[in-house]
Amino acid sequence: MANFLNSDFKSTRRAFMRFAVAAVGLSSLRRFFPGNEVFAQANSSGMPLPDEPVEATMKRLFGNRTISSGEGKIKIELPQIAEDGGNVAITVDASLPVTGATHVSHLYIVADKNRRPMLAKFSFTADSGRAFASTSIRLATTTDVRAVVEMNDGKLFAVSKNVRVTISGCDLPPAG
Amino acid sequence: MAEIGRVSIRLPSSINPGDVIRVRTLVIHPMELVQRDKQGKIIPKNYHFIHTMTVSFNGKEILRTELTQAVSQNPNFTFPLKVDRAGKLTVAFSDTTGKTYEGHAEVNIS
Repeated sequence: MANFLNSDFKSTRRAFMRFAVAAVGLSSLRRFFPGNEVFAQANSSGMPLPDEPVEATMKRLFGNRTISSGEGKIKIELPQIAEDGGNVAITVDASLPVTGATHVSHLYIVADKNRRPMLAKFSFTADSGRAFASTSIRLATTTDVRAVVEMNDGKLFAVSKNVRVTISGCDLPPAG
Repeated sequence: MAEIGRVSIRLPSSINPGDVIRVRTLVIHPMELVQRDKQGKIIPKNYHFIHTMTVSFNGKEILRTELTQAVSQNPNFTFPLKVDRAGKLTVAFSDTTGKTYEGHAEVNIS
């Protein structure tokens, strides 16, 4: 990049190539570290994504980083037994700061036994005031639900809770 | 479902400056589920669901949420908001048909 900026006209093409290669390299790096992107691209096409075991999801989202226990830092509220898996209320409240040198950047909700375990991702800013989120989710079957908090320095904290699901919230009768 | 995209926002009745309030919001949306054929294979098509929720306060983006089909039909959300001064809150939901549904609320300090 520096070469590109300092180059005279004769070497502009070469510098441009360097710049292009660097740019491509950066974008592929970014693919390996999706958490580093401030706001990752959501699935906006509506095309279904392939099924994924939870280990693959965790690896895709967090790589090989260690995930510490968030006991005492993150509170997760879920019903013990959800009669309707199609509408399960979940509340996650983290007492970690959202401003300052180390702050919360993302909160992920992951259901282990769902076919596509990453359910929702919340990206907080300093104006949020608190890392808190509550929503209603669908659960396929009795499963652990994890809440993973990612700090801006890459540290990860997670808590999980088991929910017993009576009626699946994801299974539709097969079409055709 | 003629009402698809209706957004309602609820704020606490009294807000003091500096408070971190909890905003409740609800959007009417089918959040279409993945369909499978008899072999259990996913039927590839464009499913109709909300993929992003964006919250802005006085024009500044303060929260972004990435959603999937594993979020319930007619989903509700509660999120925090730090209020230092009165202003306009906008919650926008974008779905996979390219539509964006917005809800607005005036945040008044009492």
